[in-house]
Amino acid sequence: MIAATAAPLTFSAYSLIALLFQFLNSFGFIVLATVGLAIIFGMMGVINLAHGEFILIGVYGTALPFHAGVPLPVAMIGGVVAATVFGVLVERTIVNRFYDRLLDSMVATWGLALVVSQLLLIVFGSSLDSISAPMGSVAYGPFSSSIYRSVFLPLVAVAVLVGLYALFTRTEFGIKARATIEDPETARAMGIDTDRMYTVTFAIGSALAGLTGALYAPALGSITPNRGSTFLVEAFVAVVVGGPSVIVGTLSAAGVLSVFNATGSFLFGTFIGQMLLLLVAIVALRALPNGISGYLDDWQQRRRAEE
Amino acid sequence: MSGSLDGGSTSLLGRVRDRLEGPNTIGDSPAFWVGFAVAVAALAVYPFTTDPYTIIQSSRYLALSFLALSLCFIWGYAGVLSFGQVAFFGIAAYAFGIIGINLSSTVGVGVAIVGAVLAGTLSAALLGYFMFYGGVRETYVTIMTLVVALVLNTFMAQTAGSEWAVGAAQLGGFNGMTDIPSLTLGVGETALVLEGVGLYYALLVALVASYLGLRVLVNGQFGMTMVAVREDEARTTTFGYDVPFVKLVVFTIGGALAAVGGVFYASWGNYIDPSVFGIAFAALPVVWVSVGGRESLLGAIGATLAIERMRTGLSSGIGPIGSEWALVIVGGLLLGVILFLPAGVVPRLADLTDELREKRSERSQSTAATEEPTE
Amino acid sequence: MSTPQDINVRQKPAVAATGGATSTVLATKRLTKNFGGLTAVDSVDFSVEEGEVRCLIGPNGAGKSTLLELITGQLSPSGGDIYFDGTDLTDMDTHNRIDTGISVKFQSPHVYENLSVEENLQVPLQRTDRDTAQVLAETLDRIALADKRGEPASDLSHGEKQRLEIGMAVTLDPTLMLLDEPVAGMSVDETADIASLIRSLHDDGMTFLVVEHDMDFVRQISDRVTVLNQGEIFREGPIEEIEADEDVRRIYLGENA
Repeated sequence: MIAATAAPLTFSAYSLIALLFQFLNSFGFIVLATVGLAIIFGMMGVINLAHGEFILIGVYGTALPFHAGVPLPVAMIGGVVAATVFGVLVERTIVNRFYDRLLDSMVATWGLALVVSQLLLIVFGSSLDSISAPMGSVAYGPFSSSIYRSVFLPLVAVAVLVGLYALFTRTEFGIKARATIEDPETARAMGIDTDRMYTVTFAIGSALAGLTGALYAPALGSITPNRGSTFLVEAFVAVVVGGPSVIVGTLSAAGVLSVFNATGSFLFGTFIGQMLLLLVAIVALRALPNGISGYLDDWQQRRRAEE
Repeated sequence: MSGSLDGGSTSLLGRVRDRLEGPNTIGDSPAFWVGFAVAVAALAVYPFTTDPYTIIQSSRYLALSFLALSLCFIWGYAGVLSFGQVAFFGIAAYAFGIIGINLSSTVGVGVAIVGAVLAGTLSAALLGYFMFYGGVRETYVTIMTLVVALVLNTFMAQTAGSEWAVGAAQLGGFNGMTDIPSLTLGVGETALVLEGVGLYYALLVALVASYLGLRVLVNGQFGMTMVAVREDEARTTTFGYDVPFVKLVVFTIGGALAAVGGVFYASWGNYIDPSVFGIAFAALPVVWVSVGGRESLLGAIGATLAIERMRTGLSSGIGPIGSEWALVIVGGLLLGVILFLPAGVVPRLADLTDELREKRSERSQSTAATEEPTE
Repeated sequence: MSTPQDINVRQKPAVAATGGATSTVLATKRLTKNFGGLTAVDSVDFSVEEGEVRCLIGPNGAGKSTLLELITGQLSPSGGDIYFDGTDLTDMDTHNRIDTGISVKFQSPHVYENLSVEENLQVPLQRTDRDTAQVLAETLDRIALADKRGEPASDLSHGEKQRLEIGMAVTLDPTLMLLDEPVAGMSVDETADIASLIRSLHDDGMTFLVVEHDMDFVRQISDRVTVLNQGEIFREGPIEEIEADEDVRRIYLGENA
C-alpha cells in the first residue's frame, strides 16, 4: 500500500520524515479499514465477513459516478450512500436472524461476500479505471509522499474517531447504544428498541465502510473486485489486537500496528510490513486475549482496587 | 459407547460396529451400512465406466474431501470454526513440492509425504497453541485462521523472483510451483507411480479409511469430550477437563487431515499455486461442510463431491450459464443453507427419516392399542 | 497446613457420619477478591471439616458465590491462599483443582442439553477409572432418573436437571462437593428430594459446602452454618444459634427492608 522508494540503510533527517509519513499513511489506512467492522463487532458481537465488500461498494459507488463525470467529492457521497443502503438491507434481511448465533453470522456474511464480489466482477468486469489521487505530493530529499494518503486520510481517520467518541458520549443515541451493549435485556426493559439500535448501528458501520471505500477509491490504483480482502486482513488484525472497545481498541491497535508496519515496510519493503502485522496479531492472541482495550480495562480495575 | 453398556455384541462384526457407531454419528442402522458399502463399491467401479479425464477430475474431488473432513471434525464436533483450514492444506502442498523436487527419487517422495504432513500438522499445532492457550474468544479463532491463510496468500504470491527457491524448488510466486512429483508406492524401480486410476484408488482407500477412523474417534471417549467442549466449555472445565489442551489436540488432528489432502492435491496436479491460500478457496470448505451438515462427516464428503462436480460442470460450459457464476452459486448456497437449513442437508434428512419412522411405529402402536381390548 | 484459629464459634463435632475426630479439608487464609472498587471477599479465613455439611448463607452481594468461584479457580484471588487436603490450590488451574478431589455444581443448571441423561453422566465419569456401567446405574438410581437415561437433557424439568447435575458432579467421587443454591427455583417436593440426596451422599462420607438462601432447606441438611456479610465472615455456628442471633436477623432484614 505504501509508495516508498528503495530502502536506504543510512538514516538521515529525510528518512525520519519518510518514516513518519509512512506511519501516518499506515495509521490512516488501518483506522479507516477497521472502524466500520469494529463498531459492528464492538456493539453487536457480529463479525461482518462481507466488510471488505461493503468497502468495495463504497469504492464502486464513488468510481462509477466519477467516471461518468461527477466531481470526486460528490461521487464520494454516492459511495457512502450506496454502502449505507446496502448495509440496512443486509441487516434487515440476513444479519438480524443471527444475533444469537455469532459463528453462523460469520458464515452467512461470508456467503454474501462471495456473491457480492463475484457479481461486481460479472457486472463491471475485471477492473475499473483507476482514479488519480488528489492533492499531489510533497518531495523532500530522495523521497516523496502523497499528501492525500499521508496527511489528509490520517486526519480524516482521527476526525472519524473523534466524531464517534462524541456520538457515543454526548448524544442520546450513544447512551442508548452503550446501554444496549452493556445489557440488552435491561435496555429492553427500559424501553429501548434494541432491534432498532442494532439496525442503526449496522447502518453506521456500513456508512463508515462506505466512507472508507469512497476515500480510498482514488488511492487504490486499479479498482478490482478482489480488493476487499486487502482491507479485511488489516481490519481483522486490528480488531484482534485492539479488542472489543470500538474507539480505544481501534486507536491503540492502529497505533501499535502502524509502528510495526511502517518500520517493517520502510526498512524491508511492504511485504515484510504485512508479515509483521500477522506476527504481532498471533503474539497478541496469547499475551492479550482480549486485545489492548481488554487489557486496559483489567488494568484500570486492578488500579482502582489497589486504591 | 452405549453399545458396550448394553453388553455389546459378541461377534467380530458386532464389535467393529460398536466402535463405529454411537450418538455422535448419523447412520447406525444396518441399512446405512449396506448403503455405505454400495456407495463405496460404486465409487470403486466408477473408473471402469468413464473416461480418464473424468477420473482425474474425480480424484481432485476426493483430495478436497480431506479438507472437508478436517473442518467438519473441528467445527462440527468441537465447535472450533476455522476459516483457514486451507492454510494447512496449502502448507503441506508446498512442503511436499519443496521436499519432493529436492529429493527426486521414490524414497524422496516418501520423505516428502511424511515431511509435508508434519509441516501442515505442526503449523496447526503452533497456531492452535497461541489461540487456545491465550483463551481468546471463539470469533477471534475464526478470523485469525482466515488472516493466516490470506497472509500466506500474499506471501506466496510475491515469491516470483529466482531468489525465492528452496534448493531446486522454485516457489514461483503467482504462477505457482511446477514439477511436483507424483505419489509413488514402493521403493526403487519396482515402485508404482500413482497417477490417473492409481491415484484415484489410493485416494478412495485413504478417504474411506480416514472416514471410518474418524467415526471411531468421535464415537469413543475423545468424541464425548469434544462434544462436551462444544456444548459447554466452562462446565467441562469443572469436570477436570483441560479444555485448551482438548481444543489443541482437535485442531492439530484437523490440521493433519487438511495436510494429507494437500499432499494428494499437490501430487495430483504436479503443481501448486498461492490461490490455495486465497479467500475464494478458503470459503469452499466452509460451504461444503455447511451444506453437507457440520455434524455429519459423510455429509461433508458428499457435499464436497457434489459441489465440486457442479463447479467443474460450470467451468466446462455445461448448463446455461458461464463459469463466472460458479462462485455466485456457491456463495448463494452457503447463505441459503445457513439461513434456512442451519444443520445442513444430511442431518435434516436424518431427522426426517426418524420422524417418519416414529410416525409409522406410532401408527402401528395405536393400531395395536385399539386391538388390545378385543383380545 | 495450619488452620485459622480465630473463628468465633469453635465447632461442636459436625454431623459427620464418619464420626470421631475431624480434620480440615478446605481452608482459606486471608482470601481477598476485589472487583474494581468493590471488595467482594475481604480477607476471609474459613475452613471446612471432613465429613460435614456446611452451609454458607448471607444477604445478596455478601460474596458467597465469589468465594465458591475462588475455590474452584474460576476467579483468581486478589490476595490470600486456598488449601485443600494439604495442597495449595491458589495458583492451580480449575481443571487441576477438580483432580485433587473437588466437585462443583453452579447455581443455574449447566447440563449438556443436546446429550442424553446417560451421556451427560459419562462426560465426567470417563475421566475416572471407576467402573462405568456400575457407577452409571448407581448414580441414575440415586438421582432417580433411571427411567429417563436415554432422553436428551433438554427434555428434563428444572428439578430433574438440578438432580442430574449433582449426579454428574458425584460421578467424580469427590472428597468435597461445592453446591451453589441447589434448590433455587424448586418446589417443596423437589427441595426435599435434593435434601435426601445430599443426606444419603453425606452418609457415605462426602463433605459438602453449600451456598443457600432457603433456611428451611439449610435446616434439613446441615447443623453448621457460616454467615457471610459484605465479604467478611459475620458469624459461624450451629443452625439454631445462627437462627436465634439478632445480628444475623438484622443484616438479613436490613437487606430485605
